[in-house]
Amino acid sequence: MSFINRTARSLLLSELVSGMALTFKTMFKPKVTLNYPYEKGPLSPRFRGEHALRRYANGEERCIACKLCEAICPAQAITIEAEARDDGSRRTTRYDIDMTKCIYCGFCQEACPVDAIVEGPNFEFASETREELYYNKDKLLANGDRWESQIAQNIASDAPYR
Amino acid sequence: MTLWADIVWPTVVIVATIMLIVMPLLGAVAYLTYAERKIMGAMQLRQGPMTVGPFGLLQPMADGVKMMAKEVIIPSGANRVVFLIAPMITFFLSLVAWAVIPFDEGWVLADINVGILYLFAISSLGVYGIVMAGWASNSRYAFLGGLRSAAQMVSYEVSIGFVIITVLLCVGSLNLSDVVLAQQTVWFVVPLFPMFVVFFVSALAETNRAPFDLPEGESEIVGGFMVEYSAMTYALFFLGEYANMILMSGMITILFLGGWLPPVDVAPLNWIPGIVWFAAKVAGCLFIFIWVRATFPRYRYDQLMRLGWKVFLPFSLFWVVLTAGVLVAFDWLPD
Amino acid sequence: MPKLTIDDMEIEVEAGTSVLQACERLGIEIPRFCYHDRLSVPANCRMCLVEMEKSPKPIASCAMPASEGMVIHTDSELTRNARRGVMEFLLINHPLDCPICDQGGECDLQDQAMAYGFDHSRFQENKRAVTEKYLGPLIKTFMTRCIHCTRCVRFADEIAGVPEMGATGRGEHMEIGTYIEQAITSEMSGNMIDICPVGALTSKPYQFHARPWELKRVETIDVLDAVGSNVRVDARGGEVMRVLPRLHEDVNEEWISDKTRFAYDGLKRRRLDRPYVRGADGKLKQATWSEAFAALAARLNGVPGDRIAAIAGDLVDVEAVVALKDLMAALGSPHTDCRQDGAAIGGGPRAGYLFNTSIAGIEDADAVLLVGANPRHEATLINARIRKTWLASDARAPLPVAQIGEAVDLTFRTQHLGTGPETLQAVADGAHPFFQVLKDAERPMIVVGMGALARPDGAAVLATARRLAESVGAIGDDWCGFNVLHAAAGRVGALDAGFLPGPGGRDVAGILNGAREGALDLVWLFGADELDMSAFGAPGEGPVVVYQGHHGDRGAARADIILPGAAYTEKAATYVSLEGRVQQARQAVFPPGEAREDWKILRALSEPLGHRLPYDTLAQLRARMVDLNPVFGRINTLVPVDWGAFGADGAMDAAPFVGPVANYYMTDPISRASETMARCVDEILGGQRAAAE
Repeated sequence: MSFINRTARSLLLSELVSGMALTFKTMFKPKVTLNYPYEKGPLSPRFRGEHALRRYANGEERCIACKLCEAICPAQAITIEAEARDDGSRRTTRYDIDMTKCIYCGFCQEACPVDAIVEGPNFEFASETREELYYNKDKLLANGDRWESQIAQNIASDAPYR
Repeated sequence: MTLWADIVWPTVVIVATIMLIVMPLLGAVAYLTYAERKIMGAMQLRQGPMTVGPFGLLQPMADGVKMMAKEVIIPSGANRVVFLIAPMITFFLSLVAWAVIPFDEGWVLADINVGILYLFAISSLGVYGIVMAGWASNSRYAFLGGLRSAAQMVSYEVSIGFVIITVLLCVGSLNLSDVVLAQQTVWFVVPLFPMFVVFFVSALAETNRAPFDLPEGESEIVGGFMVEYSAMTYALFFLGEYANMILMSGMITILFLGGWLPPVDVAPLNWIPGIVWFAAKVAGCLFIFIWVRATFPRYRYDQLMRLGWKVFLPFSLFWVVLTAGVLVAFDWLPD
Repeated sequence: MPKLTIDDMEIEVEAGTSVLQACERLGIEIPRFCYHDRLSVPANCRMCLVEMEKSPKPIASCAMPASEGMVIHTDSELTRNARRGVMEFLLINHPLDCPICDQGGECDLQDQAMAYGFDHSRFQENKRAVTEKYLGPLIKTFMTRCIHCTRCVRFADEIAGVPEMGATGRGEHMEIGTYIEQAITSEMSGNMIDICPVGALTSKPYQFHARPWELKRVETIDVLDAVGSNVRVDARGGEVMRVLPRLHEDVNEEWISDKTRFAYDGLKRRRLDRPYVRGADGKLKQATWSEAFAALAARLNGVPGDRIAAIAGDLVDVEAVVALKDLMAALGSPHTDCRQDGAAIGGGPRAGYLFNTSIAGIEDADAVLLVGANPRHEATLINARIRKTWLASDARAPLPVAQIGEAVDLTFRTQHLGTGPETLQAVADGAHPFFQVLKDAERPMIVVGMGALARPDGAAVLATARRLAESVGAIGDDWCGFNVLHAAAGRVGALDAGFLPGPGGRDVAGILNGAREGALDLVWLFGADELDMSAFGAPGEGPVVVYQGHHGDRGAARADIILPGAAYTEKAATYVSLEGRVQQARQAVFPPGEAREDWKILRALSEPLGHRLPYDTLAQLRARMVDLNPVFGRINTLVPVDWGAFGADGAMDAAPFVGPVANYYMTDPISRASETMARCVDEILGGQRAAAE
């Protein structure tokens, strides 16, 4: 019986027909493509994009030069130099991230005790030269100022799960 | 003036007719590429071309401009003459076949009595362009692609030949218009359905379309015989291939789907001009070409050979005998 | 010999051993904060609690003497609970600001909280906060972090001998400080930073600069005094970030002096990083090595050997001294000397210029006479050893220590006998009562400092001291009580290498005189800065001065050709400490710019001068050193020395002995270039608190 069944199926090309039926049905399903520069997909609050150094509301930079991010960075993309600022507080004199080395693992923001270094929601920072991807402290702080509202919102919305 | 009436005027008429066939054909080829990308996109939940013109309708133009603007690169080790002739042959052959295709009753450039043999001959020549390209490129990938193409086309021509013989047995003429007119009562697709399937599959193989696109085989031989071609030489292959697809669809339409004839010869249907029916049937066949490509993965080379020689050849041979036997037994042979 | 059981293991220990020490002997680690091997035991942190059977409560193992039949459990539920509880109490008032704390990564509290602590606190109230204290330019305080282990207080009292630290207030209000805000006046205050188990006391110059995990550690030898302290140089990316002590029981125990610890920033300032040649206009101009060599070869061309002289300075390594000695010999010059202060030592038996008792041997001494020596400033750790011996002696009859020379506070009770040679003469003649003290002592020590030897009558002083040592029985088979206290790290090595005037050669005074008189055409100053540079006259007038060294100090200022060398952290080099211990320094960072290791400079230079030195590698050079003096092959061992006659009889001046170290914080080119040391001079010696504080 099964022999007849099998023979009939192969002679009648049932597998081919069912395969074609599937693609035909698929043709009328809604498309998943996003028309990228004009349409964008939703981002998780945990999205790990471009780095930023945040400030407190009073304008004081958060980073305290503890160097934990530098220590944990698996790609060794972060370079920090620190010394006491004139007011005696511990601050960085240099905070560099080599974005070409960075693997966007997010360990730096996990390690940061003061939420200073974060990976923000921005992923559109392609540049035409490598040099533009060697971020220094000024660039990172500027990023922080630019994305602060979204970063703060993301951190707040993720806070219950931490 | 006999010079005017006998030579110039007919020449003008013939050139105009050829233009009348070739120009819409090239337009059809252009939009076939667009249709393929759109349909494949839809079947893969994508959108296909969207940015050039409304719904990406100008994409074929953009591609054409790009192809023409690019530099033709000839590999240093290539045989320059053969390398350049190969795409021309492919393109030329894909156009030349259209001379005998009847678009409507009497709408045919050369209504010769051996039209079907002519078609068969031309489509068999198509392999030369590919083999030459594969050889002249002086590249391992191209050479492999050329070899595969030769083997594949030779294998499937055999079964195509038998399918055509079956049809000819039912028609009794080699003239393509006669083939169409023989289907006025019933299209040959109905009585000869298995042969239709065999012909369609062989047509896929003959035009190097998926799932039989081994000569190109992007994932293994990175483009096969076309790997060294660029710009207009590449475009000629491309045009030739798609024109061949349309030609094959035309042959299917003529041999099995009743050419320009409406499905049933009743009032609203037979008001529509035959050329529209012909075009609609060709378009339907092309849709199936694309549909098949979107559905099936590529055959392995040994599977391809097995299918050609061990399935289609005996099967079509059997059907030739069967059809002939039935025709003789019931005395249905045409005049 | 009580026998006790610890974690089911039996051990027999000497009476008086604490339970904690017994545990350590078994390899069991007991957490502790206040307990320190070299300090007294206050038992106030309670971290070392262990369970003792038949005791209702856990016991503080550091303070509990081991006794017969004790059964101790160091990993029981009770012990773990006790530790967890103590840790929770300690953390109640600890700020947990590890990310901004310099101790982070090498903090006892951090480590032990991870190992033995509790993962959360039940303390809801406000934490205590304590204002920072000023402890001088070296120690930065964050007193909020203090857990009141009192290690620093005990260190100041016991080891450093400056009882300036203490605790005020009780309970929660207890604060550690200096009572009156002032800089700590100890020369070893930096060790408080090391013994502080938390980040309450941290290094001010190193503040916030680096993390322990980023540093490359190199174990090497210090050269800022002659003790030969074993240090660890922590470097990051070609820069020395800090200097820490390394344990060597026979040399520095685990302490180092402040100059050793903090003068490293002098290695980054005023460095000679490329060769210079004085041009025709009298100005020094940058040059390449080949230009400098060419200039030198031109100046030396046709100059006879006896018009060339070389003086080795205080920080030189043996390799370079041997290379220079060989080069000078090849040039035919007998005028070489390594005693730039003119000390009347060397040439005779090795016993005549070594600290023969050895540093560890000080602990066996039972009477000490210091002649023209201020060990507190000249060799801080030797002073600490004498203090340790003095402290360990019976309080009713403490170790008798007498000084001849300047009356200085050595942090322990001394008897000031007199200021000059006549007192020494009196003691040596037996006329002074202290002679009897020395005579009665089984192992008396006589320490002669550079203040007594670096004078015109130094040889006579040396002979008198030798006679005294012989007459009081300080020289025996198993005891040699005659000691010379050096202040320069390179001196003993150079003396061992024989970098002394050859036959008919001039000593330092002779070289300077020769330069004044025009008897010399070229003087090679190899790291020699402590000279009277006026002897060479203005540039272009006197002899050609070649300065080879690493700092732009006095010598480089007068030099006509400057060859930049490497400092002690930048080369693999051999140094001999004042007790004759041969030790090898390792390279921690690279010399700046074009500067090179000194022996390589001399080797490279020897070729254009036409006297190629026969060694191309450090190994070959070291083999040559061993050839010259087998002592150099005996790394880190004290080679027994033979006693013999040295010094010269003669009349002694009446002038009092004056110590060679006028300013403890600035004795050499490195410390003179150091900002930290300059701040020490201002704040510790001058009492001016920095304006920024």
